[in-house]
Amino acid sequence: MSETPTTPAESTPRTTPRAAGKSVPIFSIGRVHTIASSTVTQLVRMKTFYFLLAFALVVVAVGNFNIPATPAKELSMIKKVAFGTMDIFAWLFAIVATALLIPKDVEDRTLYTILAKPVRRIEYLLGKLGGVLAVIAISLVAMYAICAAVIFSRESLFVSAEYQSMVASGQYTGAEIEEQLSLIRSQGLRAELGIAVLASFFKAAVVAVVTIFLSTFASSSLFTIIVSVLLFLIGHAHHMASSFWLDESGNSVLVQMLVKVVKVLIPNYQLFSFSEGIVQGEAVVAALVWQMGGLTSGYLIVFLLLSLLVFVDKEF
Amino acid sequence: MKSLFQKVPRLVIAVFGLAVFGLARAPLEEGLRERLVESNLLMPPPGQGAFEQMSQSALMGTLGGLRSLVATYLTLNAFEHFSTKSWDDLRANYLIITNLEPRDESHWVSVIWHIGINATANMEIDTRLPAFERERRFKEYAFQAIELGERGISQIPGSVAIRLQLAEVYREKLKDDCATARIYGTIIGLPGEPAYARRFYGYFMARCPGREGEAYDYLMSLYREGERQRLPTLIKEIKNLEEKLLIPSFRRISEADPDQPGKGQSPASRALPGGIIVP
Repeated sequence: MSETPTTPAESTPRTTPRAAGKSVPIFSIGRVHTIASSTVTQLVRMKTFYFLLAFALVVVAVGNFNIPATPAKELSMIKKVAFGTMDIFAWLFAIVATALLIPKDVEDRTLYTILAKPVRRIEYLLGKLGGVLAVIAISLVAMYAICAAVIFSRESLFVSAEYQSMVASGQYTGAEIEEQLSLIRSQGLRAELGIAVLASFFKAAVVAVVTIFLSTFASSSLFTIIVSVLLFLIGHAHHMASSFWLDESGNSVLVQMLVKVVKVLIPNYQLFSFSEGIVQGEAVVAALVWQMGGLTSGYLIVFLLLSLLVFVDKEF
Repeated sequence: MKSLFQKVPRLVIAVFGLAVFGLARAPLEEGLRERLVESNLLMPPPGQGAFEQMSQSALMGTLGGLRSLVATYLTLNAFEHFSTKSWDDLRANYLIITNLEPRDESHWVSVIWHIGINATANMEIDTRLPAFERERRFKEYAFQAIELGERGISQIPGSVAIRLQLAEVYREKLKDDCATARIYGTIIGLPGEPAYARRFYGYFMARCPGREGEAYDYLMSLYREGERQRLPTLIKEIKNLEEKLLIPSFRRISEADPDQPGKGQSPASRALPGGIIVP
């Protein structure tokens, strides 16, 4: 805590909203950190990380599927399943954990204790969001490590087997062997896959902040979860569905207006699915990743401010 | 401002804020989406045909941003159809897969291989069907494979693998030398072009009626490149064309016909271990 003791005479109502006799900074990173840490502890106690075992099982199982595919295709399949599962975990966890946290604090009456202290509501919201994002980040890194280990072991196995069989056949030149091996390596473990994990994190962060906004006025966790999942599906599909819908309705003005309203109010989650291209082996464009990072920050700031707007005067 | 906050419910102000943010981000997001699609990081929306063919769960998965997972599941499902030789179901699966991931070359190669090679081979031996039906389905599958190949090439114009698989269907199943030559011809110059593509282009052009003269010139240009290109098939094809085109003997190549080992070989080359000469 970065609070500094002052005499009562020095304190003003503006800087000491709750603690009489003490000057409280308007915003404290220390307080946000404390709430975030306790949120992480709270989520870990919910046995969140057990999901990693299921994830490891899925990845190992897919890595051992015996299907007649080329090594490159098999590696591509492992990556798609692993990164798809990581993506599902990230957004689903972001919705469920965020939707549960505030109602649980109210139910356990922890929220009253926290807000009775000199903690501002924005600090509380930021701390909760920070805690959820920290758990998502740790989980994604752990899942990536599992996935990288499986991909690397399969890639090494495929490369050595392919090399031995090509050399043994005696029909291929060094260049042809190298070309074949680089085809396998292109679907193996590459540094760019880390950006795919970052893309999943961006998506989960936006989902989490939208869920926090919903939970500030929702009547129950169940409502928040259902609405968040619906928003997620609509946010993913509205670009695909709107062209279909407009085409079906013959570009009706009413449908156009409805599509516009949906686009304006609901985040475009489809944009955050750019990990799929990276997983398939496309080259990463650094500028686009930065822009997506900027967009994610924009969502985080705006939705946190909107959440604060609703949450600031909420009576518990 | 303060009185406005007191009079209007906070939620209404929040929704208004949401709308303002939505209006501000819409053009930015549209530009970003276009750039992500251009750089192949984001896939364009699947065709309407894909939506119509998908089951409800696959559709939900796709709409929920799980395109890769749905495509992988359908690939495994297609393998199941391959095991049971359900070729039409396999093709239906791949139509969705290639709609979901049109930029994944391996899906196109797999479906051409399954339909163009495996399904047609199965029609050649499946005695449960009458001969007429087998022949009809053989052609149907071969043409379906070709149509898929053409679609794959239109999606990934630089793909060598799709063209090689398509050429195999023309070559092995339809025995269409002119079309095979055309496909090998389109491979030449593409990145990742196999070393044999130029020779194969010439070989199949040589067998295409009406293109013998052009094929002769082309194969001779390869021949002149040196020993590296002078493989038995190249020699054989040039020899065939020399006969067909009545090339004067002084212009003919000096190598012997590889199918007639007696001609032009020195006795030493025909010597077996122990110095035994084969007559």
